[in-house]
Amino acid sequence: MLRSLFEWVDVMPMSIAWRESLNGYPLLLTAHVVSMGLVAGIIIFWDMRLAGMALKGVSVAKIQATMFPWMNLGLAINVITGLAMVFSQPMRYYPNFYFWIKFIFMVLAAVNALYFNLTINRTVEKWEHNPIMPFAARMAGYASLALWSGIIVTGRMIAYSGLVPAWWIALELG
Amino acid sequence: MMLPFFEWMGGLRLSAFFLESVWPTPIVQNIHLIAVAVFAGSVLLVDLRMLGRGLTKTPLADLARTVEPWLIGSFAVLVLSGIPQMTSTALKQYYSPFFWWKMQAVLIGVILTVTVRRRIAMRPEAELGPVLPKVVAVVSIALWTSVTIGARLIGLMG
Repeated sequence: MLRSLFEWVDVMPMSIAWRESLNGYPLLLTAHVVSMGLVAGIIIFWDMRLAGMALKGVSVAKIQATMFPWMNLGLAINVITGLAMVFSQPMRYYPNFYFWIKFIFMVLAAVNALYFNLTINRTVEKWEHNPIMPFAARMAGYASLALWSGIIVTGRMIAYSGLVPAWWIALELG
Repeated sequence: MMLPFFEWMGGLRLSAFFLESVWPTPIVQNIHLIAVAVFAGSVLLVDLRMLGRGLTKTPLADLARTVEPWLIGSFAVLVLSGIPQMTSTALKQYYSPFFWWKMQAVLIGVILTVTVRRRIAMRPEAELGPVLPKVVAVVSIALWTSVTIGARLIGLMG
């Protein structure tokens, strides 16, 4: 079912036109990397603040209020350029091991952020200035650091479609 | 003039090791990319602050000081993880206009960061006036963005 969705996109005239555009992919990938700097740069420092590794003197609530709009701007560019790359080469990404692992990491990062917002972050006023965060916040920070590192690494590894486990190749998705 | 130097780099045992093995190249590329993220965050926190955005409740000098180890540390990782990538593809780099674009922007960026930008960030804000920090921040963001663009285009456009 998933495969037919990718195949359906693959033959769309707009997908073909973008795929055959000479500068489309370099433009998209470059914009994706630049906006990654904006997103990951802010998230890493946010996570390190939660984990107790950096910015210990800065209020957690202030980081959320003043830095997250910039992070979200980067995230929007990342999502748009990422979707556009998948849209223009669906059958390149569909059989790619790292593409799907990256997707799983992104879902887990979203779940982690959502869980953080629905639980420990509700009492942020009580501990926003603490140099050492509550246990749950520290764990959320470590989890996010690991997941976002994973997202960056698997994103880079999409280019190495052959450096994957043998069982994945045996699936013969491509 | 630089060609013999690049030919020498390409002939190093380090270069041969990276070309003849499978995993070392993607591993250093990934380390490089994570360091890019840390470096980008270190730069942006202070540049946005100089633009009057972001963490405005934290004094500029405090923010710059607390971020500095990450700025320097991630830059060191960038250089170290960049070296094998440069030497193992030395002639490709030499003939790529984007490599020279990137390295010139890195050079200007480093000079700006350790001189004017650092001095501004460490001075009392009241003495700075409204314009100078903003100009420096915009130039800093523009330089490091062009480094990223140049770097990505070495791989994509040669």
